[in-house]
Amino acid sequence: MAWTDILSALVTGFSHLTWQSAFLILLGCVLLYLAIAKGFEPYLLIPIGFGIILGNLPLSGLAASDEGGVLNIIYQAGILTEIFPCLIFVGLGAMIDFGPMLANPKVLIFGAAGQFGIFLTLLLALQLGFNRPEACSIAIIGACDGPTAIYVASKYARDLLPAVSIAAYSYMSLVPIIQPPIMRLLTTKKERGIVMAYEEKKVSKRVKVLFPIVAGLLCMLIAPMGAPLMGMLMLGNLLKESGVVGRLADVSSGALVNIVTLLLGLCVGSSMLAGNFLQWGTILVFILGLVAIALDTVTGVLLGKLMGVLTRGKINPLIGAAGTSAFPMSARVVQKEGQKANPRSFLLWHAIGANTGGQIGSVMAASVMLAIMAGMHILPA
Amino acid sequence: MKDWVFGLTMTIAGMGVTFITLYILTLVIQLLARFFPYKEEKKEESK
Repeated sequence: MAWTDILSALVTGFSHLTWQSAFLILLGCVLLYLAIAKGFEPYLLIPIGFGIILGNLPLSGLAASDEGGVLNIIYQAGILTEIFPCLIFVGLGAMIDFGPMLANPKVLIFGAAGQFGIFLTLLLALQLGFNRPEACSIAIIGACDGPTAIYVASKYARDLLPAVSIAAYSYMSLVPIIQPPIMRLLTTKKERGIVMAYEEKKVSKRVKVLFPIVAGLLCMLIAPMGAPLMGMLMLGNLLKESGVVGRLADVSSGALVNIVTLLLGLCVGSSMLAGNFLQWGTILVFILGLVAIALDTVTGVLLGKLMGVLTRGKINPLIGAAGTSAFPMSARVVQKEGQKANPRSFLLWHAIGANTGGQIGSVMAASVMLAIMAGMHILPA
Repeated sequence: MKDWVFGLTMTIAGMGVTFITLYILTLVIQLLARFFPYKEEKKEESK
């Protein structure tokens, strides 16, 4: 073997690197930078960012679409079968404390307002020429909830699954950047500085245990298509609140959700390939996803303003922005913006209540969407 | 059915059902809190 052959074998990776792959590897590095240096949702962005790098390395066989590759096997088994989203919901349920919402159930209504963006984006996507299953899959990015978006897209538009899942997870983690300008644009400093009364209402353990059972049953009977997500969310919460299966609750909120998030992030990242992503259709999915989350924030804040007027200034309109499902990012953003306007304002408790409502609201919105699609006999794209 | 009619149907039904469900949940929580208030639980514990 000549030295030139050896040399060419050693630089095969470099010689197959296209500018498109290099661009996406750079994008993966930007996500890693945001996660490590800026602290933006590192648990999500590190696996996704590294997955993008792995998936775009030439000849590595690590793209989610590379038949027989390790990430392809995990992608097939966990994402296309919808197992990962469901398992993440068990973990989410075990992590969520519905206490603030149970103590002040009125904030639950913000969880509905925070879903408006989904449906407004659906109308936009249809107008832009996407077919109905695709439009629904894109619109669900507005749920601001990665697992829900994956669940819907894997049912109805598998071709768009990589774009939808990347957009959903990226925007979820970028909520601290997306929401504040909209909140500031729609409210005055005086409104943002409204101090909301805090009275500590304790909730009995029975209510906390009964809530996941009763609420789960009710939601699943209304929209059975979303039962896998809602059922798993409420199961996780019941494990936590029952107090008798501490080990299961700990595993669900710790090891299980961490492992699944790692695998899901890697798979989602490695599905983001240069050939698929640097296309107009995919860019449009990202734009529409951003619009969906922005509209969620707009409608949430507007409902907050309306509630503020109806209650004669007792409600800070920023609370409405926490009605999305990005838990607990949205609630943290609301608290931060409120404190910037008025250091004496502590909105976290109320915002967490609205944010948990958003979690339920997003699953409900997705379930209703799936139910209507099934009712209209709309088949996957 | 035209696309915009489908979109509007989905929006009205989707948001309507989501709002109604969450409103019912609000009532359910209030009902649960009335039946099982925090104080009663404390009394039971002291027994």
